[in-house]
Amino acid sequence: MSDLELMVLTILVGILTPFAIGLLIGIDRKITARMQNRVGPPVLQPYYDLIKLFGKERRAMNSSQTVFAIACMFLQLAAFVLLVTGGDLLVVFFVSSTGSFSLALGAFSAHSPFSYFGAQRELLQILAYEPIVFMVIVAIGFRERTFLAGSVAHDLLFVLPLALIALLPVLVIKMEKSPYDIATAHTELISGPYVEYSGTYLAITKIAHWFDLAILFGIMTLFFWDQNIWISIGIKLLIILAFFFTAIVIDNTTARLTRNRMVKFTLAFGLALTAGNMLILFLADQGVFRWP
Amino acid sequence: MALMENMRVRSPWILHFDTGSCNGCDLEVWALLTPKYDVERFGMVNKANPKHADILLLTGPVTKKSEDRLMTLYNQTPGPKVVVACGNCATNGVPFFDCYNVEGGIDRVIPVDVYVPGCACRPEAIIDGVVLAISKWKEKVAAEVPISASEAGPKEEQETVEAPEAKP
Ligand code: SF4
Repeated sequence: MSDLELMVLTILVGILTPFAIGLLIGIDRKITARMQNRVGPPVLQPYYDLIKLFGKERRAMNSSQTVFAIACMFLQLAAFVLLVTGGDLLVVFFVSSTGSFSLALGAFSAHSPFSYFGAQRELLQILAYEPIVFMVIVAIGFRERTFLAGSVAHDLLFVLPLALIALLPVLVIKMEKSPYDIATAHTELISGPYVEYSGTYLAITKIAHWFDLAILFGIMTLFFWDQNIWISIGIKLLIILAFFFTAIVIDNTTARLTRNRMVKFTLAFGLALTAGNMLILFLADQGVFRWP
Repeated sequence: MALMENMRVRSPWILHFDTGSCNGCDLEVWALLTPKYDVERFGMVNKANPKHADILLLTGPVTKKSEDRLMTLYNQTPGPKVVVACGNCATNGVPFFDCYNVEGGIDRVIPVDVYVPGCACRPEAIIDGVVLAISKWKEKVAAEVPISASEAGPKEEQETVEAPEAKP
């Protein structure tokens, strides 16, 4: 594969991924509806929502709220572009989590108890999943001896399977699904950090959320690599779809847990898995036993 | 941009507010979200948040206590928006007409676009009402008249349906 082809592919992936995430969310709503014995909205529903939101009257509580929403979107976008172009994973992680923080700050800037609660819970969620994402990136770096996303060129799937599984609760939290839809708890907090956003600004936070998901899926795709580009893309897509479907099943079979249990469980589960995986890798490197 | 407008009216988000109903109509509104009626197939989601809503489904007569709250919710909803009064109470306060604590129908406080009759209104009737509301919403989207907050307010001059005097 020539450099030019690779560049075209990179640009294509960069442009198509946000659209694909919208489609995935539409499929998610359809599958969820079918699981609940309903017909469900059309698959393109997330786009309709977005287009409608952009056409609504522009209103904001204060100017800092809008600034934080826009900052959130651009930070996530920057992190995503960095990841697609094979940049440093640690920088991707830090820029993306700054984006998540600015969503919480935007929610704090509105004087509304719902928004305030939502923001605090958002911070709690960040506390629950960011260490795991960080550890997974460290594990990838430990194995590959580099943090550059573009230089990850091994089959991590068989070497770091536990680290990949540790990303499942992270996905559930980021997709705002039960049992971990703590911040956007739609039964009591309505939509948590998004509650005071309306119209265009709500649409901007939604796009930021799509990029956020795209970054997480991007990190998951790093776990497979093959000489043949088509096999590579196929298996990467399979990994994403498997995780996505598992998250939907978990969403539809569980009730929401309390925030304390979320933090305790995700941290214990995620950190134990990634740390355990790294330990196994280290021992295998020392020649204690064979690990694929 | 007819295509764009068609797409824009495919995601009506609902705010349901009970201004003091007997809960009969509320149950019917909630029935819309169950698998039997499943209004999410039209893209409708109950957002329970005025700032995200497009269509206000209101039930019950406006009591004196809920008047301010109804007005606040209406003002907080960004335009273009449509108001649907569900049930006889919301239309003109019928069973509670002339009660000491009741203001009357929803249209005493905010402009109403669609009236759905019935005590309680059937879910099918509410769906019909919402479909009508969507066509009204489409007109508003096409006209793109920004509904400013100042437009809301007690409309004394507005025609209200007079309830017939109860025969002794
Ligand atoms: S219209 Fe009938 S059912 Fe509906 S709120 Fe009024 S009294 Fe109750």
